[in-house]
Amino acid sequence: MIDRSLLRNIDWILVGLLLLNSFIGAAFIYSSSHYLPGNYFLKQILWIFIGSLALFLFLMVDYKILVSFSPYFYIIAVATLCGVLLFGRLVAGAKSWLKFSFLQFQPSELTKIALILLLASVFSKFRRDSISWKKGFLSGAVTAVPVFFVALQPDLGTALTYIPLFLAALILAGMNRKVFIYIVIAALVLGVVGWNFALKDYQKNRLTTLISPSQDPLGSGYHILQSKIAIGSGGFLGKGFRKGTQSQLRFLPARHTDFIFSVIGEEFGFMGVVLALMCYFLFLNRLFKSVGQARDRAGVYIVFLVAVMITFQFLINVLMVIGFLPITGTPLPLLSYGGSSLLTNYLGVSLVLNVKMRRFVFV
Amino acid sequence: MIKQEKIYEDLFPLLRRVRVIYILVVALLIFLIMNFWKVQVLDHEKYWERSEANRMREIALPYQRGLIMDREGTILANNRASFRVSLIRENCEDYDKSCRKIARLLNIEESVLKERIKKYESLPLFKPIVVKEDLMLEEVALIEARKLELPELVLQSEPKRFYPFESLAAHVIGYLQELSPEEMKKSLYGERRLGELVGKIGIEKQYETALVGVHGQLVEVVDSLGRGREEIDRRESAKGQDLTISLDFDIQKEAEALLEGREGAIIAMDARTGELLALASYPNFDPNKFINRFTSEEWLNLVTSPEFPLENRAIRGLYSPGSVFKLTVALGALDSEIVTDETTFVCRGETTIYNHPFSCWREGGHGEVGFYDAIRHSCNIYFYNLGKELGIEEISHYARMLGFGMKTGVDLPGEKTGLVPDPQWKIKARGEPWQKGETISVSIGQSFMLVTPIQIAAHTALIANRGARVIPHLFKYLSADGKKIETKNQFLKHEIVDIDPAIFEQVIQGMWEAVNNEGTGWAARILGYDVCGKTGSTQVISEDKSEEPEQKEPEEEEVKTHSWFTGFAPRENPEIVVTVIVEYGGMGGATAAPLARRLFNIYMRKHDR
Repeated sequence: MIDRSLLRNIDWILVGLLLLNSFIGAAFIYSSSHYLPGNYFLKQILWIFIGSLALFLFLMVDYKILVSFSPYFYIIAVATLCGVLLFGRLVAGAKSWLKFSFLQFQPSELTKIALILLLASVFSKFRRDSISWKKGFLSGAVTAVPVFFVALQPDLGTALTYIPLFLAALILAGMNRKVFIYIVIAALVLGVVGWNFALKDYQKNRLTTLISPSQDPLGSGYHILQSKIAIGSGGFLGKGFRKGTQSQLRFLPARHTDFIFSVIGEEFGFMGVVLALMCYFLFLNRLFKSVGQARDRAGVYIVFLVAVMITFQFLINVLMVIGFLPITGTPLPLLSYGGSSLLTNYLGVSLVLNVKMRRFVFV
Repeated sequence: MIKQEKIYEDLFPLLRRVRVIYILVVALLIFLIMNFWKVQVLDHEKYWERSEANRMREIALPYQRGLIMDREGTILANNRASFRVSLIRENCEDYDKSCRKIARLLNIEESVLKERIKKYESLPLFKPIVVKEDLMLEEVALIEARKLELPELVLQSEPKRFYPFESLAAHVIGYLQELSPEEMKKSLYGERRLGELVGKIGIEKQYETALVGVHGQLVEVVDSLGRGREEIDRRESAKGQDLTISLDFDIQKEAEALLEGREGAIIAMDARTGELLALASYPNFDPNKFINRFTSEEWLNLVTSPEFPLENRAIRGLYSPGSVFKLTVALGALDSEIVTDETTFVCRGETTIYNHPFSCWREGGHGEVGFYDAIRHSCNIYFYNLGKELGIEEISHYARMLGFGMKTGVDLPGEKTGLVPDPQWKIKARGEPWQKGETISVSIGQSFMLVTPIQIAAHTALIANRGARVIPHLFKYLSADGKKIETKNQFLKHEIVDIDPAIFEQVIQGMWEAVNNEGTGWAARILGYDVCGKTGSTQVISEDKSEEPEQKEPEEEEVKTHSWFTGFAPRENPEIVVTVIVEYGGMGGATAAPLARRLFNIYMRKHDR
């Protein structure tokens, strides 16, 4: 099924950037967890290996076939999300995990891939430069279902990452500005209603402490504050690898997961932050540049949505660690510890590679 | 190679939109970098300090307060080891749950615990807040066993104040209480910490700055759970200076035993120096209870008790001096040469002055009374006449000169001034002019005149010293590590009042006769020890303590008598002054004088006389 010539068309630079960022992340996972039981560093290396394997295996199937199967993937994903609600494991107050005998897994992560494929499938059928209300609502509903289930877990952070995929698809489809404004208004109304009826107290706390972190020193504002202290105390050159007091003495919360970037800021300072952001930007840039190399609409949608998925989470995470956004529990793709997230992002990049290497082939 | 397929799909509009998003992302990235620049480079200093504060913890090492000893070295205020447990809020996983657990473990009300912690809310989260002191050993073991389960609790051992003789000399020694946020603002407590125990009354307060030690300090690196990782710096604490006071344990003990069951005060003072040998006030309290933190009920009982056990009556009790004041009037009259020791008046038991009837305490009167007999029998009529001749201005002049209406300067906080009335005072305080008849009352120590027992003692010493004023005081010396610290004793300066010593001799003759020649003070007589003294019985309207005063009908008012005795011994080269007041004790000669005798006696026996 796989053609030797196809292998030559793999974007090895993108693969290299993917691995570079993954290993930067692994290094800081080591720094922030070497004193903890649990072997996070080795596990992450293992996940990078598993992710790479999955990436290449996934390449063998033409993305067109994947797109055509997307409704099934989607149905499986939603069914799994229901399963999590029923049989899932409670971790940190949310039922997001499925535990098998040897590994546990967050289905809400892989759902993103299914959603991207389905959206690509739906939107690529619009040939005209405007979309009908009916189609708009259909695609909205398709997004809303997993958002609903994941928010129920409750894992608002992850649920929110689905919405930009839908919005990005709408923008790409050339949605009317007026419609876009309607959607924004609808989102606001939903926000207000959600605040009053749907949000749990801890979620509200997270949002309010964003506005004044010192008001609630042991609540979630405490975490934001500790993160800022870590980053700020790093200064220009940082305190040195494994020498960050905020991280090593555990003042920084979720050091190897959500706040991995604060560890970089503390131990390598502003220079380290700029370098890490540069590496990340090169990777994101390559993803965005790949959009133009897709040969069809489905390909454009896939590459763009993958780029949006990773970029959105990246921005949310970094804005969070520096105190601009509430703590939503969004990991930094590739850098944060976590197998589900890593695997999802590898599969996403795999889709991009898939689209790129098949751009020269006739159907 | 096969050509691109884009031929039949125009993707350019899509790519244009992608470009917009891309530019947005790049802009956000630049915004991010600018923010990192601000936090990491511009505000670096601020965050650096906070991260240092995070990781360093300063722990105060408790110090020992200086001892308080009596003149013979008996330790009246000591220290002992005590365990306390503190809460570090930062280490609580769930504050409310922690509180519940701890309340149950330590057997305290959860609301009490929370209120306690609330008092120290302003402290940083990693600072331990004391939740229970003076733990029993079983409690220490209990907490130790749950160490892993409750990382928010820390056990500390600290030296603690301990008064081995409990209520003995409680009013003199005073007690300790936690420093409140308001007191923190006073410069006296500059270096002190919130919640630290400081002297609240008595010697503990007066000599706070000498008795207090210096906290040691331990600086260590801690992790976010407050676990110490590494000690960086350590400075040992320093003990406070030991204070030796002039009290004589035996005399003090006797004085308090004599007062038991009564309300009143007894002062025994070295006549030559003003050193207080005993200063007893009754009822009293146990200062150990303050250290162990009262239950609110116990506290309320002490504060609202109608007997005012917390009041030091010896320096704060305000009484009419009664006949004791006749000594002052006698000195004034002799000094202003209104009378000589040969002047006589006739006492018929009652007389009319300024159209008011005045009576002597003895029905039928004393007959013709001379100067010495007037003091000896405490004849009111004689002193009415002296008062009338002297006039209020002169009486108040001599009263002030001889130590009334001002503080004696005793080294105890809260001493009261008393009141020497005169016409200016009355206009100011009451808005009424002075009545001539009031002069007559004042001349036997009644009416508006108010004195404290310590003023009477100082006054008596002044007479005993034939005009040399002493300052009553408790301070003897400070010592550190058993070595005496030489300091100038500011209390040992003697001021001489401008009255001829011969005049004092005449008054002393009267006082001697009052005790030794079947006078009013006969009950204080000791064979072979020339006690000189004066009794006083001041009539007061009894306050029924169980009822509100305003509910009381005038008919129910009962005239009762406070019982005074003040005296010194021996007559030549006096050594000791004793002043006794017993509230509602009856006649001075009957109640106060025998008590004074006991004190003279014990002093005499102690000094081999």
